Amino acid sequence: MRKLFLSLLLISVQLHALEKESTFKIYSSIFNALGLKKPITVYVKGREYKEVFKGSGDIKISDSFEHSDIVLVTSVKTLDWIKKKIDQNFEYSPLIFATDYHFLKKEDRIIGAFYWRKGRSQLLFLKKRLEFYHIQLPREYQQFIVDEL
Amino acid sequence: MKKNYVNQLVFIIVGLSLLFALYLQYEIVKSTDKLKHDEIVKSEKYAKKIVDYLQLKTDNKIISTLKNDPNLRSELNDVLQTFLTEKFQYIFVLNKDSKGHYRFLLDGSKEEPVEFQTIFFPQSKTFDNVFLTHQMHIAQQEDGTQKIWLSLLYPINENGETQALLVMDISEEYADYLNNINSPLQSVAMMMQIFLFISMVVLIWMAYRYHRFRQTVLIDKLTGAHTKLFLEEFFNRKKLGSCNAILIDIDEFKEVNAKFGYGVGDKVLKEFVETIQTFLSLDDILVRIGGGEFFIAIPKTEQELDFFVQDLFINLKIKRYLIDNELVSLNVSMSAMVIPDEVLSLQNVLRVLDEKLLEVKNKGKNDYIVLKSETFASLQYGNMDYIKEALEDQRLVCLYQPIYDIENGKIAKYEALVRLRDKIDSEKLITPNYFLPAIRGTTQYIKMSKLVLEEVFSKLHVYTDIKISMNLDLNDLYSSDMMKLINKNLYKNREVANRITFEILEYDEIIDYEKASIIFQQLRAYGSQIAIDDFGSGYSNFTYLIRLNIDIVKIDGSLIRELAISSDRTKIVIQGINDMAVQLGMKVIAEFIYDETVYHTVESLKIRYAQGNYLGEPKPIEAYEKFNKV
Repeated sequence: MRKLFLSLLLISVQLHALEKESTFKIYSSIFNALGLKKPITVYVKGREYKEVFKGSGDIKISDSFEHSDIVLVTSVKTLDWIKKKIDQNFEYSPLIFATDYHFLKKEDRIIGAFYWRKGRSQLLFLKKRLEFYHIQLPREYQQFIVDEL
Repeated sequence: MKKNYVNQLVFIIVGLSLLFALYLQYEIVKSTDKLKHDEIVKSEKYAKKIVDYLQLKTDNKIISTLKNDPNLRSELNDVLQTFLTEKFQYIFVLNKDSKGHYRFLLDGSKEEPVEFQTIFFPQSKTFDNVFLTHQMHIAQQEDGTQKIWLSLLYPINENGETQALLVMDISEEYADYLNNINSPLQSVAMMMQIFLFISMVVLIWMAYRYHRFRQTVLIDKLTGAHTKLFLEEFFNRKKLGSCNAILIDIDEFKEVNAKFGYGVGDKVLKEFVETIQTFLSLDDILVRIGGGEFFIAIPKTEQELDFFVQDLFINLKIKRYLIDNELVSLNVSMSAMVIPDEVLSLQNVLRVLDEKLLEVKNKGKNDYIVLKSETFASLQYGNMDYIKEALEDQRLVCLYQPIYDIENGKIAKYEALVRLRDKIDSEKLITPNYFLPAIRGTTQYIKMSKLVLEEVFSKLHVYTDIKISMNLDLNDLYSSDMMKLINKNLYKNREVANRITFEILEYDEIIDYEKASIIFQQLRAYGSQIAIDDFGSGYSNFTYLIRLNIDIVKIDGSLIRELAISSDRTKIVIQGINDMAVQLGMKVIAEFIYDETVYHTVESLKIRYAQGNYLGEPKPIEAYEKFNKV
């Protein structure tokens, strides 16, 4: 019984690890496509996302909003807080990327988002916002650039 | 052989069971696929109904109508929602904008339906295909999707052009449910396959082990030739008569071992075998019988045996072996034969080849002999088992050759001559020179003598006017068993015993005349007579006439034959024997009367009795005594 429990635990841990790994790969490739200098510092709130980027050489978690390259918006609360921060000091504002489609609608400064819809992964970048930040995406990402939401 | 069939049967059963399990698995998969296919067909019907309804509600102008009528959108979203079950994960309607991006027209989600015209990346090229072909398509689960087994993409066409498409995502859970319907059966089939596969692997492994074991038992480790055990097995599978056989023995091979050591001997043997093998084809077998003795079996369909043996013999002789920096050759003796079709025993073949090989060796070795099949047939008559079987099968026959009284031209008596009937050809009678030497001094000889005595006495009882003589070897008479047998039969048939004559043959010179006299006395106890056979040749000499109490002298056939070559001198000798015997009160019989001239010569020499094929061939007594039967 004990053995069985241990096996189940190991399997669930392994599955979790796999999910974490694939999420990291997705965000890592998105952030690298933005053409930022390595290591890319990411500001993110929320333990799950911090866990995803933990221990990576290319992406570092930043505790400071101002000193980060990218801010990953994962909740409305974070979005509101960030909006305030940007309004206070626009000069140091990093790139903002979201994990929800609705955040893109709420905040014009978010350049793109990665989220799930109808069981399908969705990645999109807004053309005008990329242009604003002078970001050129690689050719394989062109299909995800849209003019409007 | 029987065991082999059992092994093959086990393999076939396991193999067939494995095939059955695979077939079962195939049928289960087929049945599950059918279930899935039926579900897709059912979903297609739903999709068509929904699309028909949507077109009806939008008056075949879905995009413009929905754009302008938020209430209708909400109403239709609710309609789509009613179709959401465990089976359908998502149901929604998409159109393509001018940039080619997909955007939502309707969404049947229960919670927070996606807003009208929200962008959507379908992660599948199949969506585009629907717009190109205007036909329904099914998109299988691809990378970048979750919880979806497949998507049914049904086009909403207006005037032959696809305006939008209805997406019905069938959930992964439902696919699992369909798979699970047959899963118990599938598990059984899988377990069967695993079990049978393991069984098959174990069987193959065991067969391999058995094969390896057989190799060690059936192949001679030193030379690589087969062992005698293989030979027996080989002829269990193959008919003896289909092969030619050769026996080879290296002359004085022991001397090679003694002179150069066993290591060198082994090396020579290996080279010797390699040399033989260059002469053999794949169908031929080479067997090491022992030491330096080898047996070869060659299918009869191959080359002529005589040429093969000659060629092999020459090559084995010219072959040189490097021993201690010295080139040495070996002498071999060989015997070979074409095995007759009717031969059933390998032992017989080996025995005959062995006998012939011994003959070659006795004649000075380093030679070969090739037997013809007829020779073998006659040789097998000397096999103890063959004779034993003949006696058991009552194939012993007595023929009777008449001995004529020349004076009155009548049959004076008969000589009983023993024969064996051939096992296969019952018309063929085998003469004693083939079988007597093999059984002399054995229990089979006593058994045969007993049968002959019984036969002769039975004839004397049936034909009361006849006399019969039968042959006895003097050496046999020295055997107490034989004398007991004769005395017993003489006593038992004492009323006819005075009509029997014992013709004494000797293969060794009589040394102890006293003992011989006592034996003769015993034989004469019931009035029987004693004849000396083959007088004038071999050990039969005049001393017998002096020292033994003899009634009849039979002049040897070789002397009679001489009459045709040196007639005058032979006549004098025969005349002399006859005169002496008559004067000693003995009767004289001339044997081997083969023609009229010889008969008249014998008659002119005043010899009273004559015997030979000219006068009468050995036949069943009935042929001569047709009318005299009691």
